[in-house]
Amino acid sequence: MHYPWWYVPFLNAPMLIAVIAVLHVLVSHYAVGGGLFLAVETSFAYRTKNKSYLDYLRQHAWFFILITVVYGAITGVGIWWTIGLASPLATETLIHAFVFGWAMEYVFFVLEIVSAFIFYYYWGRLDAKTHTAIGWIYAGAAWISLVLITGITAFMLHPGSWLESKNFWAGFFNPQFVPQVFSRTGGSFLLASLYVYLHAAFKVKDSAMRDLIAARSARPALLGAILVVLGGVGWFVFLPASAKAALAAASTLNLMMALIFALTVAVFALLYFGPYRNPGWLTPGFAIVLFVLGLAAFSAGEFVREAVRKPFIVYNVVLGNQVLAEEVPVLRANGYLESGSWMRAHVAARFPQAIENGKINEARLLELPKENQIELGEMLFQYSCNNCHAPKNGFSAASHLMRGWTTEMIRTCSREPEKLHFFMPPWAGTPEESELLTQYLISIAPAHPAGMYFGDER
Amino acid sequence: MNPSDLIGPSSSLGSPAPYWFLVFFKILGFVLHIIPMSLWYAGIILALLVRWKGGENGRIWSGRLMKQMPLLVALGVNFGIVPLLFTQVSYYQVFYPATILMAWFWLSVILLLTLAYYGVYIYAYGLKEGNSGLTPFRQAAAWIAAIFFIVIGFLFSNAFSLMTNLGGWPALAEKTGEAGAVLGTALNTGDSTLWARWLMMFGLALTTTGAYAYVDAGVFGRKESEKYRLWAGGFALKIYTLGAVWFALFGSWYVFGTWQEEVKATMFAMPLGILTVLTAVSPGLVWFCLWFFRKSVSKRAAFFVALTQLVVLSLNAVSRQIVQNLELGKFLDVTAEPVKMQLSPIVLFLLLFVFGIGVVVWMVRKVIAVETRPAAG
Repeated sequence: MHYPWWYVPFLNAPMLIAVIAVLHVLVSHYAVGGGLFLAVETSFAYRTKNKSYLDYLRQHAWFFILITVVYGAITGVGIWWTIGLASPLATETLIHAFVFGWAMEYVFFVLEIVSAFIFYYYWGRLDAKTHTAIGWIYAGAAWISLVLITGITAFMLHPGSWLESKNFWAGFFNPQFVPQVFSRTGGSFLLASLYVYLHAAFKVKDSAMRDLIAARSARPALLGAILVVLGGVGWFVFLPASAKAALAAASTLNLMMALIFALTVAVFALLYFGPYRNPGWLTPGFAIVLFVLGLAAFSAGEFVREAVRKPFIVYNVVLGNQVLAEEVPVLRANGYLESGSWMRAHVAARFPQAIENGKINEARLLELPKENQIELGEMLFQYSCNNCHAPKNGFSAASHLMRGWTTEMIRTCSREPEKLHFFMPPWAGTPEESELLTQYLISIAPAHPAGMYFGDER
Repeated sequence: MNPSDLIGPSSSLGSPAPYWFLVFFKILGFVLHIIPMSLWYAGIILALLVRWKGGENGRIWSGRLMKQMPLLVALGVNFGIVPLLFTQVSYYQVFYPATILMAWFWLSVILLLTLAYYGVYIYAYGLKEGNSGLTPFRQAAAWIAAIFFIVIGFLFSNAFSLMTNLGGWPALAEKTGEAGAVLGTALNTGDSTLWARWLMMFGLALTTTGAYAYVDAGVFGRKESEKYRLWAGGFALKIYTLGAVWFALFGSWYVFGTWQEEVKATMFAMPLGILTVLTAVSPGLVWFCLWFFRKSVSKRAAFFVALTQLVVLSLNAVSRQIVQNLELGKFLDVTAEPVKMQLSPIVLFLLLFVFGIGVVVWMVRKVIAVETRPAAG
């Protein structure tokens, strides 16, 4: 670990990524699907000379800009901000592997911004052909930016042959690329329709216009739902074995998968029986229910997508605790504290007596007073475990997970966490350091809950 | 402790392109970013003050700038991605630790920016409805946006000054740490470079705002009255003068008060001495253009003003880059990163870059055609 670890009390730093990522994807998919909606429907409205529909689309374009160009764009930057803070090594790796993927995406961002503003602000001033063309430029640029970022995020789950070749294209066209492009494209269609329904349900008073909007957006939404399912199947098929095992093993993920399935069925049924068969159902209440269910399905999907990567951030490349997988044997030989720039500096400043010939003498660490060993163990916990576990209280708090454990159980967990749970990173330090961590964990592990009766004597 | 010990090893993946290529795009992106950025940083607060105390023409200028502000913010945010992207490729060993030390403040930029951006929209929307649309709520939203943009500037100056202040890292980490980890609550306020740069950049932003006032009147505001355009010429000169004096004042503090001896020794010696002098005096050229053309605001004059201000900003960006490398030089040689060239992605990026410029030019030409089309009837 070559960067300082950011301790976020109660939660933990990587959870901030999950929060911001979910907040972002709920809008970023609309930025893609909504762009396509505006391009297709504006062309249709011009072709059919439907002025009222054009007026509605103009209103929707303003709503679209306010949501996507401001909130969508800034939360997108926000993800980048957060990954650099919470997962600096993974970000460093991704940036080195894909900087030109991001640079290409940037070109399309600029096209999106310029075309979106011209599309809205020059509505009625550009001729229909030019106006529609600019709408299509936006839609095309937005979808390509989706494809570009999907190549990079899918890489994190399964880098494929990049692991051997380190070739940009091998990483970009990874086994997860096509399935995720399918599901994200489908998700864009689906979410865009849900945003359109929500907006139209509140803004459009004319029932004939509302029916038209409901009917026009139903097919893309249903197509989107089908693409999401197809992409989801592909996603599952091409998952690495560890991710499939995580899906089967973690009860939270079981629940999430069931939730995703139930919500997808519900959204599909509501779309089919609602806007597709009965456009008149589009009322504010119906639109809100559909919207909330859609967002819930999406959020659960994003959570699962992030969670199945454990213990990796980038599969077989970067572990969750900011260690390169290839570094583990070196760290076990040289010491986790010695190899981490910031930890070594802290030890040197705090315990100069443990330094010998400019290096940390691990044996001396175990000669320190107990409270100092616990202090060092706490630092090892921060750098090695806090990416997933809060210490005493909070998200997946280690102390509560170890409630009632014996010393030996704690020691085993410190030494070989990956054997206890395959979705935990391996211990990447020396046995002495593992012992320091054990001391700390013992100090925070609460006793078995009192009053539990197992048939023995009271 | 030697601060260099806190720098981690180079990425085993190597640099995906030669340093000169990355730094070229970093500087190009920064120059593109700093134009709209200056208009939020100094322009919004100035627009609000001028609306309040600037008379009729002042209100027109203020309204024109604030109506354009949503687009300017969008462009600025997007143009800012490029320099940040290339900073993370070439300067990752110092960029990540610096931002992690001040993580909560760095993360707060996202919240502040979102709120400020919506504040700008709230105000700009009110402008559509004339004076009655600028309710106290909308005005308050704009003031909050102006303050937030200045705070964001402060936080950026913090991050980028902390990036080169390696000597300050251990103390900040200890002061704001918990069990060897950091809480992300540090700021680089003990480093005078931060204050000098933040204030100097405000002066530079004022000059860009002044130059833009002239360009707007000469190019985009041709449908405004002659009286306004003449006023705008004089106003641009006044703002530019204020900005140039401010820039000179705090720039002097920055150069003579905060540069380390080795930086001074290089930047004041030949051949870089020429660059330093040009960077310092270049605003004078724009000032002269504004003074010369103040009574004849034309498209051609606006072109000169824009071009010369672009030179000012480019010289600043290049000088800043060299100084940054010199400041880091004793700890890290960013140019020495092993290169593992990603040729085909670079070629595709360059092709798309050219294609993207072509499409933008096509769209802008369509807009210009609409703007210059004679009114019907």
